[in-house]
Amino acid sequence: MLNYFDPSQYRIDPDRDYGTPAQLSEKAVALTIDGVEISVPEGTSVMRAAALAGITVPKLCASDNLEAFGSCRLCAVEIEGKRGYPASCTTPVAEGMEVHTQTGKLAKLRRNIMELYISDHPLDCLTCPANGDCELQDMAGAVGLRDVRYGFDGANHLDAETDASNPYFSFDPSKCIVCSRCVRACEEVQGTFALTIDGRGFDSKVAASQDEDFMDSECVSCGACVQACPTSTLMEKSVIEEGVPEHSVVTTCAYCGVGCSFKAEMKGDQLVRMVPYKGGDANHGHSCVKGRFAFGYATHKDRITEPMIRDSIDQPWRTVSWEEAIAFSAKRLKDIQAQYGRESIGGITSSRCTNEETYLVQKLVRAGFGNNNTDTCARVCHSPTGYGLKTTIGESAGTQTFDSVMKADTILVIGANPTDAHPVFASQMRRRLRQGATLIVADPRRIDLLKTPHGSTSMHLPLRPGTNVALINSLAHVVVTEGLEDTDFINKRCEGDAYKAWRDFISEERNSPEALEAETGVPAEQVRKAARAYANAGNGAIYYGLGVTEHSQGSTMVMGIANLAMATGNLGREGVGVNPLRGQNNVQGSCDMGSFPHELPGYQHVGDPAVRERFENLWHVKIDDEPGLRIPNMFDAAIAGHFKALYVQGEDIAQSDPNTQHVEQALTSLDCLIVQDIFLNETAKYAHVLLPGSTFLEKNGTFTNAERRINRVRKVMAPVAGKEDWEVTQDLANALGYPMNYSHPSEIMDEIAQLTPTFTGVSYAKLDELGSIQWPCNAEHPDGTPTMHELDFPIGKGHFAITEYVATPERSTRRYPLLLTTGRILSQYNVGAQTRRTENSRWHEEDVLEIHPSDAELRGISDGDWLGVSSRVGQTVLRCRISDRMQPGVVYTTFHHPGSGANVITTDSSDWATNCPEYKVTAVQVEKVSQPSEWQKHFQSFDEKQHEYLEKSKDESNFALK
Amino acid sequence: MNNELHHLIEMINQISDNNLHHGEAEHAADMVATHLKKFWARSMKDQIIAYAESDGSELNAVSKLAVEELKAWRQAKAS
Repeated sequence: MLNYFDPSQYRIDPDRDYGTPAQLSEKAVALTIDGVEISVPEGTSVMRAAALAGITVPKLCASDNLEAFGSCRLCAVEIEGKRGYPASCTTPVAEGMEVHTQTGKLAKLRRNIMELYISDHPLDCLTCPANGDCELQDMAGAVGLRDVRYGFDGANHLDAETDASNPYFSFDPSKCIVCSRCVRACEEVQGTFALTIDGRGFDSKVAASQDEDFMDSECVSCGACVQACPTSTLMEKSVIEEGVPEHSVVTTCAYCGVGCSFKAEMKGDQLVRMVPYKGGDANHGHSCVKGRFAFGYATHKDRITEPMIRDSIDQPWRTVSWEEAIAFSAKRLKDIQAQYGRESIGGITSSRCTNEETYLVQKLVRAGFGNNNTDTCARVCHSPTGYGLKTTIGESAGTQTFDSVMKADTILVIGANPTDAHPVFASQMRRRLRQGATLIVADPRRIDLLKTPHGSTSMHLPLRPGTNVALINSLAHVVVTEGLEDTDFINKRCEGDAYKAWRDFISEERNSPEALEAETGVPAEQVRKAARAYANAGNGAIYYGLGVTEHSQGSTMVMGIANLAMATGNLGREGVGVNPLRGQNNVQGSCDMGSFPHELPGYQHVGDPAVRERFENLWHVKIDDEPGLRIPNMFDAAIAGHFKALYVQGEDIAQSDPNTQHVEQALTSLDCLIVQDIFLNETAKYAHVLLPGSTFLEKNGTFTNAERRINRVRKVMAPVAGKEDWEVTQDLANALGYPMNYSHPSEIMDEIAQLTPTFTGVSYAKLDELGSIQWPCNAEHPDGTPTMHELDFPIGKGHFAITEYVATPERSTRRYPLLLTTGRILSQYNVGAQTRRTENSRWHEEDVLEIHPSDAELRGISDGDWLGVSSRVGQTVLRCRISDRMQPGVVYTTFHHPGSGANVITTDSSDWATNCPEYKVTAVQVEKVSQPSEWQKHFQSFDEKQHEYLEKSKDESNFALK
Repeated sequence: MNNELHHLIEMINQISDNNLHHGEAEHAADMVATHLKKFWARSMKDQIIAYAESDGSELNAVSKLAVEELKAWRQAKAS
């Protein structure tokens, strides 16, 4: 007999649709289908049981990512002892059941059903975009439909108009069979509830919102409906234009820290569409508008396709060969070190590049440059996570899998906006909220998660920007003073002395919600309710984002979060945990790979002689025992004149780092700036060497997502300039006289595994076998570690850290009475270099300043006005959007467009422990203006000049070719 | 004073402020010194020590103690 433990990924073929979702019951039920005996978990549908036995039952409205619906009736079966023809999708298995899926009566029934469907369906199969990829067509074939006796003259929907408003997909209702798969996908998979079936009976039709165009509706363009559609009603425009793909490669999305797995569906080396991969453990076949649709930047005309050099940034670029560009770079770096010393140069690794590439850049710096001046963009996002979690629970990483949220009873979201920044995980979170979990949001803004359709209890703690630590202390105070602690967990798992000291501190009256209400602005009773809801939940899970880290007390806040989780015993099992939601695709990985100036790969300190020795033995070079410079210190040192050269791979510090004018001054102070990127980004405009980068589609490697999951990135097309990014770093190392000889990124991973204790079991072979691996993966955890800290912490016992609230010096004043906080939105990604070069810009053409109606009224501002936003470091001009998502006194903007200059205003105020900038709090004044700021005018002219220099190089290189 | 040094002074004073608990300056100074050892680059350590020796007026009490400790650690390491 076939025995299925159903949810097992090893037995399930992710490319097959089993019709209905897997059931998790441990009780097995045995039955016979078409004479095949099979045993499946209780609750499984007859359709799924049949599919597991390798038997295909015809179906149209069923799909295994949606609950059974039973509307098409095509999946009818006969069951011995039962009357009629039950739908196999809605019929659960029963012990001893005998099912027949193919009988004469069933064949006739199915043919009749198909005949009705086809009587109101255009017969243009040959010219239909779904030709070859249409379930309706397949089913017509499978049931042997030969004739439509009703004719096509009666009332029909064949003239229904196509809605092509969405840039990525079209909606052609003439082809719709009203199976509701799109509606259910929007509800069950995405959780937006934007679609509905409008009308009754023959008039039933799919409608977006209140029967609007898709573009004007609540639709967030995740594409779940497109993927669910069995016909060409909802169809990718890329397929309409280019035809059906012929092969596919499983790879990992390069947007955001969720790390969705996708099938890149190809025609030759042309990418036709991205389809989320059901076998991906981070996303289970779901995606967002960025991952599924916004890949056009890879083939955008702005791609840098040849290496370029110049002596000064006031000169046009000169297109050169790879050899010349690398030799030029190496000579400059060597000359600078000869003149200014070993420590006068450094490098920045990228959270957008692969683990292997990041590892190689920091290796180049430590071994090739001979110093530790390596840093990464996590400096400006999650460096406090590293510091805070390492200090308290011993490992710089989230403790759970994403799936763990499905067992959480209370979900506490602090300073994160998952529906915009981590949309696929937000969909999963919303599923759990619909099942009844309680939501607590601590955020100055009223984020969309609070508006989850059909969500359960939710609470909003609208704290003032900059008062996180005051809030977390008051939550912990309630836990301790109301006796809500998990003393068992504390006694067994945590250091006694540190706990006692912390307990004394947190119990002090000055940490009570009543005492801190004046600071946080959150009514004490709300804080008490929230603390109880979290501590008494059973399973309380914390998710946090950059609203936690990007503060002057970012690291303190992370420690405060860990304290709270330890005090309530919410660590070490499924459904709980401390979960940093990572911004970019490989923030976790770039941190793991030793990008920080004080740590070698695996968070091993450079000051530890035993650690250095292992690296030195393998790298055959002496490693500096002092930490190197962090990015902001590199800038200061550059302006001071003793830091002279920088190698930047795949980062845009000129746009993403705070206090733009300071950054620009630092970059212009450099004698040699080497930028490796796919576009002429803002930083590249200050560069002397521009090395073409490769997109995630053009290289092999791995990304590590926010749940420590190492996923494979697979090359589907050749790099436009001939080299994957790691090859360029390797060439530069060799030119500097430090030999590197890797022939494939898998060899780099093998080296990482040798040197990083949490990676010893990781290899490409194992990744291919398991699909993905959550580190630690070593002798103790050969298949990886989904949930961390189950038995103990990497530092043995958990360490409660004292978290004194120190108010940020960045406070509102008479001159700057408002607080600016920054963030991002769903359709754009980070500095926007990728998404701005796609149709995603249709949702967000410019960065705007969101301001509360009362603040707007006070200043006589209306929607759409140009607003001058000034802080103590700079001024910029943005268009106004009046919004009640903000509290009075707080304004908000995004930083996706370089010309907006959001970071011209942000200051160098930063986290005390890690110098992560305080992006979330800048005191500003806002007033109506009529022209761009001085900085914007300068930006405009500099930008034009640099584009001219680029165009000139292209002209010259074309001329040379002729 | 150049901006780089000014920034380093701000940084160390901020680290001190965040580690001071119940006015226990010596304990805080230990934590600050450990922090500098672990996270500050050689050139940053050099500059803050040189400043403490030559002027030091803008260092708060905890920072002053911490730099003393850092200096002693450096000397011990060098010898």
